Amino acid sequence: MQKYSVFSLIKNAFKGHKDWEVAWKDPTPKNEYDVIIIGGGGHGLATAYYLAKEHNITNVAIVEKGWIGGGNVGRNTTILRSNYMHDQNGLFYEKGMDLWRSMSQDLNFNVMYSPRGIINLAHSDAQMNAYSRRGNSMRLNGIDAVLLGREEIKKILPMLDFSDDVRFPIFGGLMQPSGGTARHDAVAWGYARQADSMGVDIIQHCEVTGFDVTNGKIKGIKTSKGNIKAKKIGLCVAGNTSMLAEMLNMTLPIETHLLQACVSEPIKPILDQVVTFGAGHFYCSQSDKGEMVMGGDLDGYNSYAQRGNLPTLQHVLTEGIAMFPFLSKLKMLRTWGGIMDMSMDGSPIIDKTHIEGLYLNCGWCYGGFKATPASGWTFAHTIAQDKVHELNAGYNLNRFNTGHLIDEKGLGTKTWIS
Amino acid sequence: MLHIKCPYCGTRSQNEFVYGGDATVKRPQLNKEVSDKEWDTFVYLRKSPRGKHLEFWQHISGCRQWIKVQRDTATHEIFKTLKPNEDI
Amino acid sequence: MPQDFRLDKIGLINRNKKISFKFNGKSYFGYEGDTLASALIANGVHLVGRSFKYHRPRGFFGAGVDEPYAIVQLYRNNETDPNARATEQELFEGLEAKSVNCWPSVNFDIGAINNFLNKFFPAGFYYKTFMWPRSFWYKVYEPFIRKAAGFGVASIKHDKERYEHKYEYCDLLITGSGPSGLASAYAAAKNGAKVILAEDKPRFGGSLLTSEVNIGNQSGKEWAENIITELKEMPNVIVRNRAQVFGYYDHNMLVMSERVNDHLAKSKKYSPKQRLWYIRAKEVVISSGSIERPLVFGNNDTPGVVLSSAAKEYLKVYGVLVGRNPLIFTNNDSGYETAIEFKKNGIWPIILDTRNNPNSEIIDEAKRMGIDIKFSHVVVAAKGYKKVKSAEIAKISEDKKKLGAIKNINCDCICVSGFWTPTIHLTSQSGNKTKFNEEIDAFVPGQSKQEETTVGSANGIFTLEETLKKSFEVGHQISKKITKNDNKVSIPTVVEKKFTKHDKFWCVPLPKEKKYKRFLDFQNDVAVTDVELALREGYRSIEHVKRYTTLGMATDQGKTSNLNGLQLVSDFENKIIPSVGHTTFRPPYTPVTIGAIVGREVGKHSKPTRKSPMHSWHEKHNAVFVDAGIWLRPRYYKQGNEGLFEASKREAENVRRNVGVCDVTTLGKIDIKGPDAAEFLNRVYTNAWLKLPVGKARYGVMLREDGIVMDDGTTTRISENHYHMTTTTAQAANVLSHLEYYLQIVWPELNVNVVSTTEQWAGAAIAGPKSRNVLQKLFPDIDISNEGLPFMGYVEGNLFGVYARIFRISFSGELAYEVNVESDNGNFMWEKIIDIGKEFLIQPYGTEALSTLRIEMGHVAGSELDGRTIPYDNGLQGLVSKKKDFIGKRSLNRSAFTAEDRQKVVGVVPLDKKTSIPEGSHLVKDANAKLPNPKLGHVSASCWSVEYNNPFSLAILRDGKNMIGQKLFALSPLKNKTIPVEIVSSHYVDPKGERVRS
Repeated sequence: MQKYSVFSLIKNAFKGHKDWEVAWKDPTPKNEYDVIIIGGGGHGLATAYYLAKEHNITNVAIVEKGWIGGGNVGRNTTILRSNYMHDQNGLFYEKGMDLWRSMSQDLNFNVMYSPRGIINLAHSDAQMNAYSRRGNSMRLNGIDAVLLGREEIKKILPMLDFSDDVRFPIFGGLMQPSGGTARHDAVAWGYARQADSMGVDIIQHCEVTGFDVTNGKIKGIKTSKGNIKAKKIGLCVAGNTSMLAEMLNMTLPIETHLLQACVSEPIKPILDQVVTFGAGHFYCSQSDKGEMVMGGDLDGYNSYAQRGNLPTLQHVLTEGIAMFPFLSKLKMLRTWGGIMDMSMDGSPIIDKTHIEGLYLNCGWCYGGFKATPASGWTFAHTIAQDKVHELNAGYNLNRFNTGHLIDEKGLGTKTWIS
Repeated sequence: MLHIKCPYCGTRSQNEFVYGGDATVKRPQLNKEVSDKEWDTFVYLRKSPRGKHLEFWQHISGCRQWIKVQRDTATHEIFKTLKPNEDI
Repeated sequence: MPQDFRLDKIGLINRNKKISFKFNGKSYFGYEGDTLASALIANGVHLVGRSFKYHRPRGFFGAGVDEPYAIVQLYRNNETDPNARATEQELFEGLEAKSVNCWPSVNFDIGAINNFLNKFFPAGFYYKTFMWPRSFWYKVYEPFIRKAAGFGVASIKHDKERYEHKYEYCDLLITGSGPSGLASAYAAAKNGAKVILAEDKPRFGGSLLTSEVNIGNQSGKEWAENIITELKEMPNVIVRNRAQVFGYYDHNMLVMSERVNDHLAKSKKYSPKQRLWYIRAKEVVISSGSIERPLVFGNNDTPGVVLSSAAKEYLKVYGVLVGRNPLIFTNNDSGYETAIEFKKNGIWPIILDTRNNPNSEIIDEAKRMGIDIKFSHVVVAAKGYKKVKSAEIAKISEDKKKLGAIKNINCDCICVSGFWTPTIHLTSQSGNKTKFNEEIDAFVPGQSKQEETTVGSANGIFTLEETLKKSFEVGHQISKKITKNDNKVSIPTVVEKKFTKHDKFWCVPLPKEKKYKRFLDFQNDVAVTDVELALREGYRSIEHVKRYTTLGMATDQGKTSNLNGLQLVSDFENKIIPSVGHTTFRPPYTPVTIGAIVGREVGKHSKPTRKSPMHSWHEKHNAVFVDAGIWLRPRYYKQGNEGLFEASKREAENVRRNVGVCDVTTLGKIDIKGPDAAEFLNRVYTNAWLKLPVGKARYGVMLREDGIVMDDGTTTRISENHYHMTTTTAQAANVLSHLEYYLQIVWPELNVNVVSTTEQWAGAAIAGPKSRNVLQKLFPDIDISNEGLPFMGYVEGNLFGVYARIFRISFSGELAYEVNVESDNGNFMWEKIIDIGKEFLIQPYGTEALSTLRIEMGHVAGSELDGRTIPYDNGLQGLVSKKKDFIGKRSLNRSAFTAEDRQKVVGVVPLDKKTSIPEGSHLVKDANAKLPNPKLGHVSASCWSVEYNNPFSLAILRDGKNMIGQKLFALSPLKNKTIPVEIVSSHYVDPKGERVRS
């Protein structure tokens, strides 16, 4: 594989950039694979990469119904963090942070990992206490966290609303300095390029239409490009999980919901950190291009539409201006929607299933992007070893029977309430 | 913004309603022995189809009645709205 | 100062009103009716900005919303707006604007060094480098890139402007007032339909303002004026200019932003800057017209290269010449219209037509006028850096592959016309799957998905006659469907020139050995080579091309670049365009001010504020308030120099010693009535309710079906079939919905009704050993002795002429009562209590003292009932009935919930009896254990125990029931605290509960 570097860039510049190789090939599917990963999003691509890299399993296909990176990895707000309260979440996402830190070098693809810090604002003492509980839990799990008072917040973010004309004054906040952002598309492409180079077949525009399950064991899939046999199959299809589960006669503790996000027109740098509002659901960062990247609530009803409605954005942006009054003068440039696999306790599922050789990766709610490397890493382990890793042991399906739920927000099964 | 026909009040904008989830889920009867599986299915498992979905909404800023809505989850088209005791 | 590029007579501007303005610090003037762009061009200013990546000089390309170049920083009324589009911004007196994305100036921009190094910055170059050393990306490279990116500058001042929202319903919404929009609107309005006609520009008429046509024996422009005048006078019609319908949402909800005052130096009083319209339309007629498609050639981004239609608009609307020596480069007849307009005004244009000797009326006319036309000719490259100075032109072979000898000809502008792209954004947003029309080489609407019809050039119809005929028909048919009227208007006769076919050619090949940049996306600097590189590297899906190259992702969202990009991909990949597909059109069609989307809900009004009827009393008595959801509650009443700690301690001590009064109005209150009310409560709460007598209250806990505690509170049996339920402040709305859900859906057979009475009652809790004395004086007629009104008893009373409900319930753990009166009497009640209580040393107490009192009593509240705990965890297992079924019961027998070492609420006291334990601390065995340090539980609530005068906390602790007496550490690494603690019972004060019963 061609190595990307400043030297290769200069060398190629003098050849008119005619010698760059394809980042990934366009193979026709083989008859059989050791492992098929369904879903060419971030998690699927990462899983294939770690299967090859960590477990030396390279006879792998990724089957994607559209184009790779076209799902939520290509339509999110690019935030990375591990600021969770529950141990299962904290330790899992912190593994992810470790992988993020070296991802550009591991993949030889600049994913622009940028630890600019994430700050959750608090607007009451009660909220400061809740953040303390979370922040202390993080610290005891070896994750960086700092509690900031109002004046400290003001130093970092003077453009927040510190005026008297404010509905919910800022009391302080919880900061994870190592939280930040990464370039979303680059993550998908970087994993794809490396996976491809290690022998993984990336098969785009190939829709799964059915499964071959015999005697409780998975045998292969039916697709728009024909039947493909496989010893093991992993599902990594986020918002489309329920549809594939239906083909397998499975019903899962997830619902598919719509989440919108938007960006403003690009402006000169004004915000370095990722900031979340505490008196509502709004978060914001500024991209390297200068666009303010903003998101918040779900549209609030089951949806596969990838298109939302304006009142939700109005509601989200209302909180945006309450937090950053300067947003008022900016213009909203682009909006989009992603479909979220909302699980019944807000935490993901990475597990084996009752069908031998079938593995499940879903339930990411709004948090799938930051989980990409840890999800791929643990899912690859689960598939390769046919057993869960201790990092994803808590993300089992069985927890909905035993009551070992991992509910960060305490909202229970009403997944649409954010 | 969806336009939902409340069977009691007429057609109103979505902002008068709140969503109430899958309306095909049936709560097991009180005092009835149910298996763990049956119970957990009721509490946690959802079909979440792409396409026609029967769901509850509550006309919370109107008559406060819970209603059933049959809606397409891919296009958001609403086919039918019903009182809770009515069936499709 | 004369305006070198302004013609004397032509145009629709008001020459009687001069307007002065500044650009980059220099003063100019224009006329009323100018845009900033037209005024600058009139003054010979063509350099307005720099491109995003290479910082190449940027001028004007269009004359409206499709403009990719002319973005400026605008100053108006002491405020500044980033990224204003000069082609849309109308001129007002005193307007100031500055170039963006250039330093030190637009004329001399250091960033332009990128242009000379551009071969090192192809599409996606940043993915291939900036990776070493590891930390340099975010420490060195990224900050540098961030500084270079972005356009305008945001002011961090609060926006002083007002934005409003309006909701409107109509039969027909028509988006665009060109010929098709006017015809549909007129036909529908005359047929009785309620019509809204929206026009983005200040002037109505669309293409009729600039085209030489005749409708019903009038010029197109006159016809448009007459129709608009008539429409404006009709009561069933709303006509708005400066109003862009930018989003087509579900169920025919469209959203429009109206720029009410943007064109004025200052917003008029009582008038918003912008207004956002939510319009629910029964039917939508999309008459959004079309956008001219550029031709792609070398250096086609040089200032002075403009769309031919824009050149015509500048000329006919503003009397402005984009150049005095124009070159028209076209692949269709539209370019001729522009050429003819130039010629009519004494300017000699040269036309380069890519076609080989085509024939049509307009070409004949141009020939007759003596215009120099070169068929089968192309512009190979524009010459000049900051402004077009000349053009390299050449003959092109029939197969469009080979160029003839290159010739240089002088010109000061190049007007390009690559035929027309229908504006299908709204149609596509509605869910309509568009289809490719090979006749016009563009996408047009397919099958309607919602109630929408597209007419005119937005539907790919480019003759006026057909447009008017179809549009009148559509307006009539749709209105007939809605109004059932059948009033037809006659369709006027049309005189227009017939055009012949365009050439399917958009991208001029490069001559050998020449490396001109040929741009597709002008703002983001995406050139032909970038798209080719993306395809070569395997980024072949159109979405991959877009994302890898950033084609179409600039602030113009690719209005002029997308189709040329698609064409290039399809040529390169040997595919037809429809199989390449287009990227998704998403709202907004054009960027919308965020302030307008938000409207009036800003500042203090970003969320409603709820206040109790006693609020002003609290204010007068130095209450410091705390947000409880959207309620404001007194947190403490400040005396002298007290802070939170001193005040709340004083108030809590006074409750324990004497008596205090607390405003509890915010608690949720629900009236429950009906013969089955007892049975209903029995199903909702975990404890038994069937035997509660009239006149008694009971504490209850309700669960979600997953077994988690949802809420708690007391419910009182007022009469046989009437109960009064209280909920926590936070859960009031959820609990009501929850009850309604079960009554209406799950158990409709129960004859019970529920209604919220939170707003109807004002509540005061009177607590402390002397509370009975106060109550006795408030209600001298009632027996409120321990026998007459025992703990959990209820009576009704007359409070100096006011009906009152008296509950003997306690949250503080002291002897306590809660008095409710109708809200209007709340303040009266409160003042009476304070007045009468004086002799018993009554003091009001706030939520902080309330919290102290409940914590040391071990009463659980929101910080323990956090949506993750079951009754057992909160020490409430005694309230869980074993005999009856209730909501959530079946979930309680799950293994995690019944585990031997299940978490449970406990008390925590620091060993030194001095150090307060911060809330949110975690309890561990070993303070110095290696991380991750296993956590046994967390401190949920802390207070200074006024009973024992030392800190006391509640914690939810694993195996809590067996931990009493254990020594642990409370750790708060955030606050750098390690506190040795002892675990004690959560019932720290009065564990037997004797006081409440005394």
